[in-house]
Amino acid sequence: MNAIQLDRLSKVYPGGKRAVDCVSIELQPGEVFGFLGPNGAGKTTTVKLLNGMLMPTEGSCSVFGMDPAKEPEKTHACSGVVTEHAQMYDTMTGLQNLLFFASVFGFSAAEGEKRALALLEELELSEAKDEKLSAYSTGMRQRLSLARALIHEPRVLFLDEPTSGLDPESAQNVHTMIRRLAQEKEITVFLCTHQLRYAQEICTRYGLMEEGRLLAEGDLSELRAKIGSGIRVRVKASGVPAGLSFHRLEDPKLDCAWNAPVFETVVQSEDEIPGLVQRLVEDGERVYHVSAELPSLEDIYFALTAKRMEEK
Amino acid sequence: MGIEMRAIIKKDISGITANKRMFTALLIVPLVLMVFLPSLFILILHFAPDEMGDLEKLLDMIPHGTGGGDLNTMVIILLLDYMLPVFFLIVPVMTSSIMAASSFIGEKEKRTLETLLYSPLSLRQIFQAKVMAAFLLSMLVSLVSFVIMLLVVEIEVYITIGSLILPGIQWLFILLLVSPSITMIAITLIVRMSAKAQSVEEAQQGAVFLLLPILMLLVGQFTGVLMLNIWILFGLGLICGILAFVLLKKCMRRFQYELLLK
Repeated sequence: MNAIQLDRLSKVYPGGKRAVDCVSIELQPGEVFGFLGPNGAGKTTTVKLLNGMLMPTEGSCSVFGMDPAKEPEKTHACSGVVTEHAQMYDTMTGLQNLLFFASVFGFSAAEGEKRALALLEELELSEAKDEKLSAYSTGMRQRLSLARALIHEPRVLFLDEPTSGLDPESAQNVHTMIRRLAQEKEITVFLCTHQLRYAQEICTRYGLMEEGRLLAEGDLSELRAKIGSGIRVRVKASGVPAGLSFHRLEDPKLDCAWNAPVFETVVQSEDEIPGLVQRLVEDGERVYHVSAELPSLEDIYFALTAKRMEEK
Repeated sequence: MGIEMRAIIKKDISGITANKRMFTALLIVPLVLMVFLPSLFILILHFAPDEMGDLEKLLDMIPHGTGGGDLNTMVIILLLDYMLPVFFLIVPVMTSSIMAASSFIGEKEKRTLETLLYSPLSLRQIFQAKVMAAFLLSMLVSLVSFVIMLLVVEIEVYITIGSLILPGIQWLFILLLVSPSITMIAITLIVRMSAKAQSVEEAQQGAVFLLLPILMLLVGQFTGVLMLNIWILFGLGLICGILAFVLLKKCMRRFQYELLLK
């Protein structure tokens, strides 16, 4: 059974805005899915549809076979949600908040406390557990939200911009934790973010959204194949023979740092690189540095959006 | 009711009692209406009975046979059975309005409602738990104010008159029928407002309109147009009860994820 399934899912808001437009995705249990796109791309709306907070205009979606539009309570019982809009109570302490949500999920006081303390420990909040939430920093709040979302050991975790407003170190910690959770507890993670660099570190598959439409979906290699761009090879050498498709990088910053001209070309597979280097050496050029760079998620995203602009 | 709903009720009630500003408001109104005002009345009656001369017209309207012939006793009966019930009704309306505004609109304002909606409780259960919390606290505050009022008034009456004057049967209808129904109406109206009101203050200002009918009842009492006899109270309670039921049903239908998170 698919952990999450979206079938031609569409949502049109009363004002006429088409926030999600015919999106189809299938996720297997244990996948960490990066749902990427700029603000207003329809990511949050999709999460709300998957939790039954919004009714789809067309199409349908399901979480472990349950339709959130028809049985939201059952969906909620197996999923944890962290979003900017789902806050906790400022007047209660971190522990009290977790205990409250544990009992809302039907756990006895003793069981709730056991789970809450374990999660606080795991998320490095043990020391602050008796402090009122109003004294928590943004990073601590986010971690507590994550603990809250995990209190009932959900099978699916919906994370909507879980690291927005966090400093790089805290963001890194949260991401490491998400990756660990997915690996250790086999939780399916649906991660909405516009931070592509972080997403690339932790996700196993991606969906790129723009203006409510799914531009592309797949793992990194599938996405790379979609944009058809190859590997970018940079060479720092005394020169390059004519006939090779190198072009010199004119970036003064690079020249300064590298103390020799830098050339770049694009190849379709890694197997072409040794041949290139061999040609340089045979031509008597001195080679100081060779690097190969696959298109990052960011490159893919911009390539895809550019392609779509052209199509328009 | 499972521990899930009990947790929400407990959280909502302790949320109010932990908030000093709100809790003070909850305590001051009953204190002024149920302790300070009747005490003042009894003291004036005792020390400056001449000031009460104008009440004679009102006293004539009290059904005969409710008390002795003594003027002071009659005035106390007028206070205890005809004026205080109207003051008393303000208490549950105020309490439930403050409580409902905080538990519905306050949670929306502080973005904690959405977190609650992601729980495995149905919307109906969340709605019921929240209404129940406002209702229970309101009933508790009313009952406690009634008991304190009764104690204070009886002690004062005993000291000034020398004998006890027990409250009439009207109070039974007030406590068991009129007050719970009016509380329910107040809660449902606040919840209805929660769809539009963006802040707790806004909703509480709206709740002031709820007090108007009660104030009219008070005017009715003083002018003698409408004296609170048992049958009027019974009818009033019944109408309010039916109205509360209808409003609650309508309110529940409007309680939807999409409307709540707008």
